Amino acid sequence: MNVASETEVRGEREKRPEMFFHIVLERNMQLHPRFFGQNLRENLVSKLIKDVEGTISGRHGFVLAVTGIESVGKGLIRDGTPFVTFPVKYRCVVFRPFEGEVLEAVVTRVVQHGLFAEAGPLKIFVSNHCIPDDMEYQTGDMPNYTKSDGSVRIQKDCEVRLKIFGFSIDATEISCVGSIKERFLGLITDPGAVA
Amino acid sequence: MSGEEEENAAELKIGDEFLKAKCLMNCEVSLILEHKYEQLQQVSEDPMNQVSQVIEKSLQYVKRFSRYKNPDAVRQVREYHLSFHRILSRHQFTEFELCVLGNLCLETAKEAVAMVPSLKTKGSAHSNKATENILNDLSLVKRFE
Repeated sequence: MNVASETEVRGEREKRPEMFFHIVLERNMQLHPRFFGQNLRENLVSKLIKDVEGTISGRHGFVLAVTGIESVGKGLIRDGTPFVTFPVKYRCVVFRPFEGEVLEAVVTRVVQHGLFAEAGPLKIFVSNHCIPDDMEYQTGDMPNYTKSDGSVRIQKDCEVRLKIFGFSIDATEISCVGSIKERFLGLITDPGAVA
Repeated sequence: MSGEEEENAAELKIGDEFLKAKCLMNCEVSLILEHKYEQLQQVSEDPMNQVSQVIEKSLQYVKRFSRYKNPDAVRQVREYHLSFHRILSRHQFTEFELCVLGNLCLETAKEAVAMVPSLKTKGSAHSNKATENILNDLSLVKRFE
């Protein structure tokens, strides 16, 4: 299967998954014996929450919130150390972009070669090649992209609907590349309408 | 990352776990995150310090872009998805498609088909009408929430 890179060629089987998912993840939690006792499970859960919330997993994107614990397995003592490892299955909300996904974002910066937007913790860059040809960069106090007939202006703090083309995940953030060149993409003037 | 090159929303190659997982709309996520935030507020005075930037930004984002503000409306939309799923199972709208329709708050069937091309393939005239119906109902929920 080849990855379609031309938007026009996208197959009819295309579906756009949403970026927020509620999934079950598993993690091996190590606990020091000082936490054993009546509150073992609570300690385990709070350590899990502290370790995992707000982090990024390569496969699952941002882990936003742990919503519940599915199961806690039997603890195994690690050889040579006093630590005990518990496999914990938990449900959490993850946030992950997908190629081909359409989502809404807030413009944070406009520069000559494109614009930067953010959808929550996700950073997206839209290059000027992916902005409709009839929109031009205007420099000034509030740099913006304005349509040739003046009807549409995209500047900082505007809401835009864009499509993600690619992204890269590293330890601290996920950055994406997007486009507003297609139909029904671009500035959102009020909920439900796209300019 | 080499694994990601194989993935593509267009081909729906997003990994089994995501296909089977439950999709959440922005409004539902905002409820979850706000609940969490309130819990933190009870514990300490300045919860913003405790949550990481990622969570704070996500909360702001879902609040800004959630279409249905009150929990009852959200529940209605989610249940609506389920009942529609049953009634129109022959149309086989997936959870993904309904989530996109709910999230982006689209107005016309044309827009919906542009955003979710798979709707087109499910039998032309049929789906158009069905899509229009869904969009109308979703906007009704919004109006009367």
